[in-house]
Amino acid sequence: MTEPALKKNIISNNEICYWELINNTSHWSKAFIKELGYSKKKVVTTIDFFLDHIIHEDYRAPFKDNFYNLVRHDVDFKQNILLKNKEGKYLEYICKTNDEIAVDTNINSKTIFFFKTKLKTHKKVRVDNFYYQETATMTSTGSWYVDFEKKKSYWDNITRKILEYPDDYIPSLKMGYKLYAEEHQTLASNAFFECGMSGKPFDIEILMVTANNRKFWARAMGKPVFNDAEQIIGLRGVFQDIDDVKQKEINLEKTSEIIASQNSRLFNFAHIVSHNLRSHSSNLSLIVNLINEVDKEEKLELIENIKDVSHSLNTTIEHLNEVVTIQTNAQQAKEAVSFAITLKQVATSINQIIKTTNTTIVSDFTSIEDINYIPAYMDSILLNLITNAIKYKHKDRDPVIKIRTYLDFKDNDRVVLEIKDNGSGIDLKKFGDKLFGMYKTFHYNTDARGIGLFITKNQIESLNGEITVESELNKGTIFTIKF
Amino acid sequence: MDKKIELACIIDDDNIYVNLVKKIIETKKLCDHLLIFKDGKEGIEYFEALLQNLEEKHIPEVILLDINMPVLDGWGFIERFTKIRNKFNSPITLYLVSSSIDVRDINKAKSLSSVKNYLIKPVNIDELEAVFNKSA
Repeated sequence: MTEPALKKNIISNNEICYWELINNTSHWSKAFIKELGYSKKKVVTTIDFFLDHIIHEDYRAPFKDNFYNLVRHDVDFKQNILLKNKEGKYLEYICKTNDEIAVDTNINSKTIFFFKTKLKTHKKVRVDNFYYQETATMTSTGSWYVDFEKKKSYWDNITRKILEYPDDYIPSLKMGYKLYAEEHQTLASNAFFECGMSGKPFDIEILMVTANNRKFWARAMGKPVFNDAEQIIGLRGVFQDIDDVKQKEINLEKTSEIIASQNSRLFNFAHIVSHNLRSHSSNLSLIVNLINEVDKEEKLELIENIKDVSHSLNTTIEHLNEVVTIQTNAQQAKEAVSFAITLKQVATSINQIIKTTNTTIVSDFTSIEDINYIPAYMDSILLNLITNAIKYKHKDRDPVIKIRTYLDFKDNDRVVLEIKDNGSGIDLKKFGDKLFGMYKTFHYNTDARGIGLFITKNQIESLNGEITVESELNKGTIFTIKF
Repeated sequence: MDKKIELACIIDDDNIYVNLVKKIIETKKLCDHLLIFKDGKEGIEYFEALLQNLEEKHIPEVILLDINMPVLDGWGFIERFTKIRNKFNSPITLYLVSSSIDVRDINKAKSLSSVKNYLIKPVNIDELEAVFNKSA
């Protein structure tokens, strides 16, 4: 197809909007007049009518310049333009001269083409909207607006989605507090109140609750909306679902806590090795020191002392060995361990003590009957905590030990073992940080060796569990083990 | 060493150590009488009771205090002792004697004005003699 033919083709096409300028007279194409909603009779196809009635004022001046430049100096142009149709509705066009569209020109005629760009703009808005939607969806960020004057709140669809409310749900101001977990409702109301009253923007991490009662971590940001008189007339902001990130952060914190506690156990262990072994070695050297100073008879007496030192040294080393093997044993195979059977075995092994102290053990393992664990550890944990409870019984009453299992809903349904006694209790303010330390005893009982709880804690933690304690003097103690 | 110490006090849960020090004190005749408590609580209770019935001959001139003890440790003893020590008219010199070589313990001891010195176990005979001489 040759170029003139192309031009002829285009121009003869009834759908094309254009002006043709021949000898300073402008001819508007049928399609153009029709597009603008005019009939051929009612339209004056002059540049003045065009400038006065059709073109949007913002585009008037540049178009005028372009137009006269084309007519007088043959300067081609291309510009965006807004045109008003007969109903007063603005339509967006791009106008181009024939040179711009690279079609052969007839020397006597100049042509300005008008191409609708409305579709394009629509597309652009749609594209922008698409990006906005995608960003909001991918980052789980929903927007909201609270209008103080109308006393209404508005949510976008992402907010509804994050909060698991149906698409047609209309939020109200009154239900606002329901969106937050009970423990965070004060935090939320403080942030909103302060923002609404003093205009202080907020950016907080908060536990929210969905319509389905599912808790999740959200980042809530909000800022005030002012009217012209600079009064706060509403709040605007976003909720972002950061549960994944927050859970990871929480897990990381937990891991870091475990590492910190392992580190502190290692440090404790190093300290024990240093302190407990040193105390024996220093006694030995003191004896040797003294042997030189005393007479024969007393020398024999001092040799007796060496026996004592040697005995204590052995005990210490046995204890240290016990601690070291815990870490090695943690690699042992786990198997299904029944709480009830283990408790029965433990009770049998200390049957004598239970009888003489008139101890009652009440157990309830209906919630969780067994767990995958190292059997020897479960044995040792129950034995230690039960004998502990009996050892530190209250002087005025017989020991009652209540043992039960349950799932911790707040902590990923972890299995929890609880051992509760009615004993003399421990002053946790005084001894809290030392309770699980080695060779720490807090009672006057002569059989306190200060190793039991240290071993128990080590065994539990070597299998990634936790042990915590609550206690009240003269009331009793509760040990809680999370597996 | 013009004036001999009459009464000294050892607060330590290590029996073997206590017996050995006792033997040294007796052999070297470092002081006339010796009070021994097996933990901080027994020790502080003695001093608190002493306040009720202040008799100078029952106030020790030297205290050798261990750090790691059950029930009430050396630090706990010092905390309570510092509150009452000014009520005694005679000076009481306090030494910490521990097998701990933990710098945190040593620095903590140095930071306390009520502690005259920190001795690391094993203490030898010369060191003990020096303690009893200096306080004289």
